[in-house]
Amino acid sequence: MKEVIQRKIFDYLLKNKIYNFVGVPDSTMKYFIDQGLKRNKILIATREEEAIGIAVGMSLKKFQSNSLVFMQNAGFANSMSTITSLVQLYKIPMIFLIGWRGFQENDAPEHTKIGKIQPKLLQALSLQSRILNEEDWKKSCDWALKLIKEGKSCALIIPREFVD
Amino acid sequence: MIRKTAITIALEHIEFEERIISANGFISRDLFSISDTRPTFYMIGSMGLASSIGLGIALKDPGKKVFVFDGDGNILMNLGSLTTIGSLKPKNLVHVVFDNSVHESTGSQPTNTNFVSIEKIAKACNYNHTFTVRTEDNFEKILRKIKKLNGPIMIVVKIQQNDTERSERISISPVGIKEHFMSR
Repeated sequence: MKEVIQRKIFDYLLKNKIYNFVGVPDSTMKYFIDQGLKRNKILIATREEEAIGIAVGMSLKKFQSNSLVFMQNAGFANSMSTITSLVQLYKIPMIFLIGWRGFQENDAPEHTKIGKIQPKLLQALSLQSRILNEEDWKKSCDWALKLIKEGKSCALIIPREFVD
Repeated sequence: MIRKTAITIALEHIEFEERIISANGFISRDLFSISDTRPTFYMIGSMGLASSIGLGIALKDPGKKVFVFDGDGNILMNLGSLTTIGSLKPKNLVHVVFDNSVHESTGSQPTNTNFVSIEKIAKACNYNHTFTVRTEDNFEKILRKIKKLNGPIMIVVKIQQNDTERSERISISPVGIKEHFMSR
């Protein structure tokens, strides 16, 4: 996804009262993260489970609690247990922003398997998701913002359109 | 000192408005059975994450003290969190590790704290103050001392194994735990 769109997505979510951005970096969304770092709004964790734990802690405050956790799809695989036994068990709403590699034939081998099963994993977790694209990213963000207001978690997916 | 005694002593030094994030397993069960009078987030699953949840709430509300009740097996699953805590340095975070060197909840299998010091790791990770205590008197002394100190603080409390007495499961639902925590 283009640099300018990624930066716009960050600013749009921030403007719409997502207060906490915690995660593990992903080159697929590096401009999104960079925009947050520039605004001093990003907390980088050592692992995805840790990132979710911190976001849960931040969400336990009554005000300014809306949180987003960003991660690669390999990290999403790491997070399964934390999503089921913390986020979903205690019904703590948050937005997951997950990179998506491995759905293209020519991506690096470590992404192939997880990339292929990612949609099924989201489904198995009953985690509603939308894929962000350059045309109607705003609509997907609005969808996620509406869900978090209703107290529900969801995932926004950023696909990797190129292989470097 | 057994865990229940250690938790009872800790509670004598925690104000009623101060928060506790309590790790899963017997730590939460013991705490719940002793006293449920402070805002407490009892963890049921997601082992290892008490320190991360504690960090999150400590950062959002820096004016209020947060105590993390952790176990040795628990923190060993999330040592990375010590580097995050040591980098962000929340002044209001007190990290108490009840260390019996076993995974008691699963049948007392040994942990690596038999060979490696959690306190030394915390010190290397820039915690402001770190302590290891082995007696009830010493634990009380340190709890009084830290009232005047800035966090992050770690207290490793060496406790004895005790698999004869088991506290009941927590009777509040997970969503109830969350709502109760947020309302206090």
